[in-house]
Amino acid sequence: MLKKYKKVNPEPQVAAAPVASAAKIDRTIIGDQIFIEGIIRGKEDLLIEGSVKGSIEMKANHLTVGSKGQVDAEVNAANVTIGGKLVGNVNATGKVEITKAADFNGEIKAKSISVEDGAYLKAVIELEREPIKKFAQPEKPPEKPGEKAPSVPAKESSMLAGMDNKRV
Amino acid sequence: MAASVADQGRKDHLTGPGYEAYTSNALKLFAEHLERNPQGKLLDIGPVCQENIRFFARRVKKHHVCDMFIRLDRRLRKGEPVRQIWQELEYPPDSFHGILVWELADRLNDEDVHRLVRVCHSILVPGGMAVIMVMGDQISSTETRSFVIGQDYRVQLRPQPHLNLPLRGRQNRDVLSMMSPFIPAKSFICRPGFMEFLFQRV
Repeated sequence: MLKKYKKVNPEPQVAAAPVASAAKIDRTIIGDQIFIEGIIRGKEDLLIEGSVKGSIEMKANHLTVGSKGQVDAEVNAANVTIGGKLVGNVNATGKVEITKAADFNGEIKAKSISVEDGAYLKAVIELEREPIKKFAQPEKPPEKPGEKAPSVPAKESSMLAGMDNKRV
Repeated sequence: MAASVADQGRKDHLTGPGYEAYTSNALKLFAEHLERNPQGKLLDIGPVCQENIRFFARRVKKHHVCDMFIRLDRRLRKGEPVRQIWQELEYPPDSFHGILVWELADRLNDEDVHRLVRVCHSILVPGGMAVIMVMGDQISSTETRSFVIGQDYRVQLRPQPHLNLPLRGRQNRDVLSMMSPFIPAKSFICRPGFMEFLFQRV
């Protein structure tokens, strides 16, 4: 049988799960010895430590790809945490979190994103666009006597086209 | 490991030589260039940095991220040829309105710098811009950093301890020479030896 779902209880094996913050949440786990090919639809959170190929539809729930997870799929979810390997496009109505253990290749559409330094990423990212604060005169707090400005803006060296090759 | 966490905390706030925050005029001009095109596409080949992703994702239609630093690091650690990493940048010609190269050129040998420049020239649209930085020989550490963009283009250098890359210490004239297929647009001296360059494809 190709599909096997384990209902999670807060047992030691859950505590060993790589994404510790979600360990106590009741959710379904696809274990690391499981391979699924096809469509997964669900209305509860899902942690994938096995292999999944196809598509994942869980628009109101949280998908986590654990450190052992290998997913090649189109993903639609409320929130997505990537801590393993994921190839495919991710469409999240909420947040996408990418940990430093992640290996991601694909497109991400989300409301917001967080990415840890060190993540292995090749991605196209489209976030919900908010109005941009223009680079206007920054609001300067009143300077205290004797307080030094943080630093001087960089100095323009010159238009390079006519620049000589002097070392700077 | 408590020690490493503490160490990480310390490193995130390093302010010694090579780590001082500064205001980036090159990034300001670059962002303004991108904002002129509502359908703009940006490619960032620097170390993955969530602050920069959030910063630019609000300014372009599509923000492509392909961390070439980590790819280079993995190749070098395995002793594999570096040239294969350029396959990662096989985008169609004229794909991007801007490319953030950061200090990648300072981490490559001359042969791979030329490959990088050729690739960037091909995938940048005419009129598109590239940002390049060189640290010069004034810095005290060869540690790889990311350039974290903050409010009002204040840039903080953040150590990337997972990356171990050689630093070539290229100079102003070396950059101008290697980027000869482009038109040099602006350069800024951030501090002695550390420069930001804006290049434009004709």
